[in-house]
Amino acid sequence: MNTKQKNNIMSWVWTAILIIIGIVCVYPFLFMLSSSFKVSGDVLSKPLQLIPDTITFSNFKDLFGDPYYDFGKWYMNTIVMTAVTIGLKVFVVSITAYAFSKINFKGRDAIFLVLLTTLMIPGDIMLIPRYIIFKQLHILDTMWSLALPATFDIYFVFMMRQAFIGIPDSISEAAKIDGCGHFIIYSRIILPLAKPSIVTMILFTFVWSWNDYMGPYIFISSLEKQMLSVGIKLFTEGTVTDPALQMAAATVVLIPVLVLFFFSQKYFVEGVNSSAVKG
Amino acid sequence: MKNNTGKKMRVSVSTAQKKENFTGYAFVLPYLLGFLIFQGLPFFIAMVLGFTNARYISKLEEVEFIGLSNFIRMFQDTDTMKALGRTGMYTLMYVPLIMVCGFFIAYMVNKGIHLTKMVRSMFFLPYVSNMVAVAVVFKLLLGPGGPVVNLLLKMGMEEPPYLLYGLNTALPTVVCIAVWKGIGLNFITYLAALQNVSSDLLEAAQIDGATKWERIRHIIIPSVSPTTFFLLISSIITSLQNFTTIQALTGGGPGQATTVMSINIIRTAFSNYQTGYASAQALVMFLIVLVITLIQWRGQKKWVNY
Repeated sequence: MNTKQKNNIMSWVWTAILIIIGIVCVYPFLFMLSSSFKVSGDVLSKPLQLIPDTITFSNFKDLFGDPYYDFGKWYMNTIVMTAVTIGLKVFVVSITAYAFSKINFKGRDAIFLVLLTTLMIPGDIMLIPRYIIFKQLHILDTMWSLALPATFDIYFVFMMRQAFIGIPDSISEAAKIDGCGHFIIYSRIILPLAKPSIVTMILFTFVWSWNDYMGPYIFISSLEKQMLSVGIKLFTEGTVTDPALQMAAATVVLIPVLVLFFFSQKYFVEGVNSSAVKG
Repeated sequence: MKNNTGKKMRVSVSTAQKKENFTGYAFVLPYLLGFLIFQGLPFFIAMVLGFTNARYISKLEEVEFIGLSNFIRMFQDTDTMKALGRTGMYTLMYVPLIMVCGFFIAYMVNKGIHLTKMVRSMFFLPYVSNMVAVAVVFKLLLGPGGPVVNLLLKMGMEEPPYLLYGLNTALPTVVCIAVWKGIGLNFITYLAALQNVSSDLLEAAQIDGATKWERIRHIIIPSVSPTTFFLLISSIITSLQNFTTIQALTGGGPGQATTVMSINIIRTAFSNYQTGYASAQALVMFLIVLVITLIQWRGQKKWVNY
């Protein structure tokens, strides 16, 4: 056997080991997904059976028809909050990043540096102060208490600025000579060119807002305004002890992110790499 | 030279520069205002609130400065000190585990060149998933009558433990689930770093007769040390911000077995309404992060190669 063949066999051995570890890693998701289509009795008695004997949709029907908890309402709340956050954030962050990279205004770099130093502050210590501020602003118990702090974070301003700096100035200079103002250059030239970075920002914002538990747990108090993360906890710890129904609830919460991830993992991976490796 | 032309430009096109300034400020103004209200002001308040006797959040007009009382009280409060100890335990388990596992999975994926994309998504999937939903699944998997308990029964264990509900097993179990959840980030970051390790250097070492382990130790690990440094700091910070993970899995129980600082702070603030005292605890945690980061920053010269 020559070295090349040996190397090829070895790399398949490594791959097999990784796949086995990987399956253990994704098993909770497979278990959840298949259990949500099972009848309750089969969930714990046949945990390794991935395709149920009888596929039933009744768990999902029961979930959205629950007499005590309005799961559909929480779902809508979460969709609206996430959409508003993404909309606001894409606009505010990109126009700010544009100014910090393409407009030569006085004090630009000094301001940016001050903003950057706050990158290291863990968000947890701001919770209590934010509660106080939100109370004064009368946005407690509204989705704005979740959307606004998420909009004004520095992390993506930094990332977008890097992306914009990567776009050669000659392109925007040419447009300037043609008489275009900054807003036109920003919206017609720079934004379209930075599409991959915008997509990455949208995806990460979606995941963070959708999965946020601490925010709604602390800032949202009314049941009918609650978000999914808190909702599913109330639901599964309240009256619902049926394991199939619990798994259906978990599935419904996870599905949007899982689907999104499968269609766009390239952007997620690039997002992690651009932020982590470069700085 | 550059300065000179800059000055000349500024004099000759000062109206253009004024316009540029104006546009610049107009573009960043909305963000700066929002940043001040939602990031800057909260941070400032966080720095101050720990020195006050604030209670019930709403009655802010009666707030008085009480100096260091909250901090003194904190170090005399056995419950809080125990929570701090548990946070330390959590971090000491979480950080080495996620660093080592993240590195070795990345190392293996970098070696095994087949099905990379599939393997990559398998390990990254937990990272993007909702912790609370995932916790519902784990509670079922590890709970009474669940597959894990049944597996242990079949393997001959007479009274298999309910891992999440045992006084001694709860914290390590939570750590393992947290590592499972967070490993995608470390793994992907390490993978990118490993792909940049010079293959010339590795081949040269191989020709010189270096064993696999020697190559890992003397070439690969030093080459990825900037990544290790970055991940170490971010993993420590992540390990301290574990409220959601623990609240979702155990709620701090059984008993106080998983009541770490993040849980303790939220409880003190929002269940016991001792806002000032909770803020003091949060401030101490912030200072701990700051000190750890600074120590690492100073120590990095010894082992980080740029």
